[in-house]
Amino acid sequence: MRHVAITGVAAGLCLPLALFAIILIPIPGLPAASGFWIPAGFYFVMTLWFGVWGALGGHIATTIAMGYFFGYTLHVWLDGGIGDLIAPLVCLLVFKLAKANPELKTKRDKVVWAIAVPLSSLICGLWVHTVHLMFGTITWPFWYVGVLTYFIGDSLAIFTVGTPLLKSLTNYVKQSPMYIWR
Amino acid sequence: MVKTFFLHVEDDSPLINLHPLLKILLLVVINVEAWIIENPLILILIIVCLLLSFKFFKVPLSRIVKFLVFAIVIVQAITVSYLLGSTIPGNTVFFKLPWGTYISDMTLLYAFTVVLRFLLMLIGSTLFLAVMRDVDITYGLISMKVPFSIAFMITLTLRMASIFLNDYFKVRDAMVLRGTDFSTGNVLEKARKYSRLAVPLMVLGVRRMMELTYVLEAKGLGFKRKRTYLYQFSLGVSGKLILIGLTLLIALSIAAKVSSRALSFPGWPLG
Repeated sequence: MRHVAITGVAAGLCLPLALFAIILIPIPGLPAASGFWIPAGFYFVMTLWFGVWGALGGHIATTIAMGYFFGYTLHVWLDGGIGDLIAPLVCLLVFKLAKANPELKTKRDKVVWAIAVPLSSLICGLWVHTVHLMFGTITWPFWYVGVLTYFIGDSLAIFTVGTPLLKSLTNYVKQSPMYIWR
Repeated sequence: MVKTFFLHVEDDSPLINLHPLLKILLLVVINVEAWIIENPLILILIIVCLLLSFKFFKVPLSRIVKFLVFAIVIVQAITVSYLLGSTIPGNTVFFKLPWGTYISDMTLLYAFTVVLRFLLMLIGSTLFLAVMRDVDITYGLISMKVPFSIAFMITLTLRMASIFLNDYFKVRDAMVLRGTDFSTGNVLEKARKYSRLAVPLMVLGVRRMMELTYVLEAKGLGFKRKRTYLYQFSLGVSGKLILIGLTLLIALSIAAKVSSRALSFPGWPLG
């Protein structure tokens, strides 16, 4: 029951934000890319709070939003959709392995957050642009550009949007039965 | 007229009353075919047939043209990528770029082919999504043995998106009334201003999540016994034939791709 609500709401919240991100800051030469992927800040945070179901919400939102502009295709689902499912899960895994707290109260938690976000963005960027390359929508030189812009754009958005959310709202979210860190 | 996700479609359209499973399968098949076929001539032929089928299936193409305009974005992305960053050998090299890539006749043809593959997916998906109702998503996925909770989740997402869009405008307007100017500043400053919308939006989201959990509980979503459904869809003989046809189409396309060059790039002798 809870997971349906988490995923449905997470996806519903991220969907309009993903549409804005593609419209406001597109990257020429890279299909379905945005220089500032706003929803990433939301689904990263929701994954840290609610686990896999938050990530699934981001995955559904990304697939629907990218599909709106670039067609509801297998290609869009495979690259952006799956990529945005992998990224927050990598971040969650790093937090779990490091036994860090999403409240970001201690210096250690902040360091884990500072490492987990770029690492997840890099893995996601590699995935997304390798799928693009395999399908033929981009070429090798744009693979490098794509991975780099993805890495910077995603990390920047997650730090800008996600950090205040984790710092100010984790205490509030703790009261809900969906919170996974107990 | 029947309301679908994107528009209103005439209720006597042959696609509207198709079994939801077949609607989803058609969507999958057209996308898989675009991955298999590389021959530009065959791609053009299928795209023309699909465009004509909008008329046959009584799907208003004129109202979807606005949606198809977004195709320009993908066309520029593919073209820029191939013109500036590819090394595809051809009969004539038109231009050599300082970083080692070049533009040949085959570069242009291959970029055109990739555009056609993407257009095939876009036009095909648009046609089948134009006749997709929210009921079709839920029942189609259930027919594919996807758990009800996942099918319901996807329908819920689409409903929630419009609710959060309203929330977003309300929060933004409230911030504007308190003196925030979203139109000034460089990209980073604008991004910072927009990021401040995140906290109130997230609070609303978490509240909705909790409320929704109780609502779903009250409506018996977690009930373990066998679920009954409001609508009953039957495949029928014609539906089964379409199902077999779609499966055969994929199998034959893969066989043709492997055994001959008919579906491969460029798909005709270059001479």
